[in-house]
Amino acid sequence: MCSNFVVMIVSLIVWIGIFFYLLRLDRKIKELRRR
Amino acid sequence: MIWKILTGFLLSVVISAVFLMSPPQKELGDVSRIFFFHVPVAWVAVLAFFISMINSIFLLRKKELKYDVQAAAAARLGFLFCILAMITGMIFAKNTWGSFWNWDPRETSIFILVLIYGAYFALRSAVEIQERKASLSAVYSILAFLTVPFLVFVIPRVYQSLHPTQSVVDTQFKFQLPLPYLLVFLSSILGFSLIFFWIHKLEILLNTKEKEKE
Repeated sequence: MCSNFVVMIVSLIVWIGIFFYLLRLDRKIKELRRR
Repeated sequence: MIWKILTGFLLSVVISAVFLMSPPQKELGDVSRIFFFHVPVAWVAVLAFFISMINSIFLLRKKELKYDVQAAAAARLGFLFCILAMITGMIFAKNTWGSFWNWDPRETSIFILVLIYGAYFALRSAVEIQERKASLSAVYSILAFLTVPFLVFVIPRVYQSLHPTQSVVDTQFKFQLPLPYLLVFLSSILGFSLIFFWIHKLEILLNTKEKEKE
C-alpha cells in the first residue's frame, strides 16, 4: 500500500475517533433535552 | 468563539503541511509522517490524565462534586486519545516493523495504561453512592497518574525498544527536528490540545446539566 495512504488512514482514524465521541455527546444532549 | 475557528484553521494547516512537506525521517520514508498525528494524540492522552489527577486532588481537598465531573470527563477523553495513540502506533508498527503488535516495551506500556484507566471506569460504574464514587475514583485517578510518567517516558527508554525515542528531543533535551517540521509538530500538539479542551468543556457542561436534572 502507498505510504501516503497509510498516513491518510491514520489521520482518518484520529478524526473518526473524535467524531464518534462527539456523536456520543450529541446523543446525551438529545436525551437531556427530551427529559 | 475565535479560538475555536483558529483551532479549525490550525489543524487544517497541519493536515495540509503533513502531506505537502517531505517526510521528516528519510530512512522511514513517507510513513514517518504518522509522527505528526500519533505523538500529539499520545500527548493529549497524558495531558488529559494529568488534568484528571489535578481535579481529583481538588475533589479530595474541597469535597465539591464538580471536580469529580471534571476529572471523569478528562479521564474519559484521555482514554479515547490513548486508544487512538495505540491504534495509530499499531499502524506505524505494521509498516515499519512488519506486524501490528510486537509486545515492544512501548506497546506493552500503553496497553497497561489502557488497562489501568479501563479499571478506573469499571470502578466508577461499580459504586452507586455519588460521594463514595467521587472520592474512590479520585484516589484511584491520583494513583493511576503516578504510573503515567513511568509507562510513557521511562520504561520505553530504559528497555531496548524498536520505537524511536529521540524523534523530538535528544538525551540533552534539545529539539531534533528542523524548524519547519518543529513548527508543524508544535502546531499539531497545540491544535489537538485545543480540541481536547473544547470537548472537555462540552462534556463538563453536559454532565453538570445531567446532574442538575437528576
